[in-house]
Amino acid sequence: MGIKIEDLTVTFRNQITAIHHADLEIPKGIFGLLGENGAGKTTLMRVLTTVLSPTSGTVTLDGIRYSQKNFEKIQKKIGYLPQEIDLYPGLSVQECLEYMGDLSGIPRQTCRKRIRYYLEKTNLTENRKKKMKQLSGGMKRRVGLIQALLSEPEFLIVDEPTTGLDPEERIRIRNLLVDFSEGRTVLFSTHVVEDLAATCSQLAVMKKGKFLYSGSMKGLLEQAKDHVWICKAKNEIMARELEKKYPVSSKQYAGEELQLKFISDVPPQMKCTACEPTLEDAYIYIANQKP
Amino acid sequence: MIYELKISLTIYKIFYAVFFVVILSLVRGVTYSEEIGIVLEGPMAILAISFCADTCTQEMVSRRSEIQRLYPMKKRLYSVYKRLVIQTLFLLFVAAAGYGLFFLFQDPGTGRNFFEDEWQLFLIFFAAIVVTLGFWGLLSNLFSCLFQNMWAGIGVCLMLWLMTNSSFGNRYFGAWNLFSYTFRSLENNSDFSWICGKIVCICIGIMAAAALPKIIEKRG
Repeated sequence: MGIKIEDLTVTFRNQITAIHHADLEIPKGIFGLLGENGAGKTTLMRVLTTVLSPTSGTVTLDGIRYSQKNFEKIQKKIGYLPQEIDLYPGLSVQECLEYMGDLSGIPRQTCRKRIRYYLEKTNLTENRKKKMKQLSGGMKRRVGLIQALLSEPEFLIVDEPTTGLDPEERIRIRNLLVDFSEGRTVLFSTHVVEDLAATCSQLAVMKKGKFLYSGSMKGLLEQAKDHVWICKAKNEIMARELEKKYPVSSKQYAGEELQLKFISDVPPQMKCTACEPTLEDAYIYIANQKP
Repeated sequence: MIYELKISLTIYKIFYAVFFVVILSLVRGVTYSEEIGIVLEGPMAILAISFCADTCTQEMVSRRSEIQRLYPMKKRLYSVYKRLVIQTLFLLFVAAAGYGLFFLFQDPGTGRNFFEDEWQLFLIFFAAIVVTLGFWGLLSNLFSCLFQNMWAGIGVCLMLWLMTNSSFGNRYFGAWNLFSYTFRSLENNSDFSWICGKIVCICIGIMAAAALPKIIEKRG
């Protein structure tokens, strides 16, 4: 059981179609959603959290079909961290979480216990008395994540939860999500490939409202195998030539020369070596495939 | 309740409401104490309109409404009503204080027994202003929520305010006007026909309160 999306289309009033006839199955565990800006990730999440109604297609969550009469049942099962959120600036962290916990119907004692636990887990205990407006962007993001976890939902939908976090905090949050995902479904949307590589075994890649890939991480890496190449360019002009011809996934100076890693379906007509693709390379490979 | 208080009564809101009433009691001249209610009702309605317009829209602007959609409707509504009550109670306090400020700054002529007749006048004003504040606060929140925009809500309410708080409103609606208390006869203190206008406010207010859950469900 999990989330099943069939032939989903979302068209806005201004006739822009954000999702085109998409099909996807999201099983238990952490499921990554990867895609460029404007790919339709947030729209998909807004549909899953019942904020948006699809134009056509069906969505089911644990076998419950998304429809007005089932919304209440579905909403109880979901925790959500939107991409942009401004939590009550005049309340302290503790007050804000207690208020949101109360609104979501969690008994007060249980709520306080969970707040204590998650504040500890996200390294925010010391800041619990600080006003929300006094927090840094990363801290606000962590409080946002706690509010999504408070009701211990069966389905957790998080839109770029690691934005604005320092490396140590990012690791902490990733680990928290992995722990939380046991027996639950976590949909983790990001464009930070590293975060997905460290947490997910299943993922989907979106571009312009369509799923370019959906399946295991291993499968995605497999697809990009033998399509990633490393070569050395003697100067900037040669490097630019390569960039024009191929999607370059990395570029760095190695002594006097420039080392470039690029994606090509066929072996390039120059001196280069094939290398093992990383998730980032695989993403670039999939995203640059012609439809 | 304390959280709703902190959310809906921010420092800047408290400041502008108090400032508004202090300035009004300083610049708006009254000769007799019967006029204080008339002078206060219209401006207090505007204050209620601007004060309550962001009750729901602040959740939309901050995107918190996307999370709140997942919460039980009953809890969400209860929270909105609590915020409206808190804001109305605060404005009620400000209106009562404003009434007193007119006495303090302008010392209007009374010619009556202060401890009996003046109190009676004040209590009548208080009853009328409770309905006025509740009605305009609820209405501005309703329209703001409906249009998902605080300024649109304020704009619609101001149009209605202009229509009813005018000689046009008085001529066409008479005792059933929303501002019937403002247009009551000052010569005849025993004329309570203005209550009809307040009954209209209460009836529309009940309808607005009944419509609010549906609007929040759809728009919020």
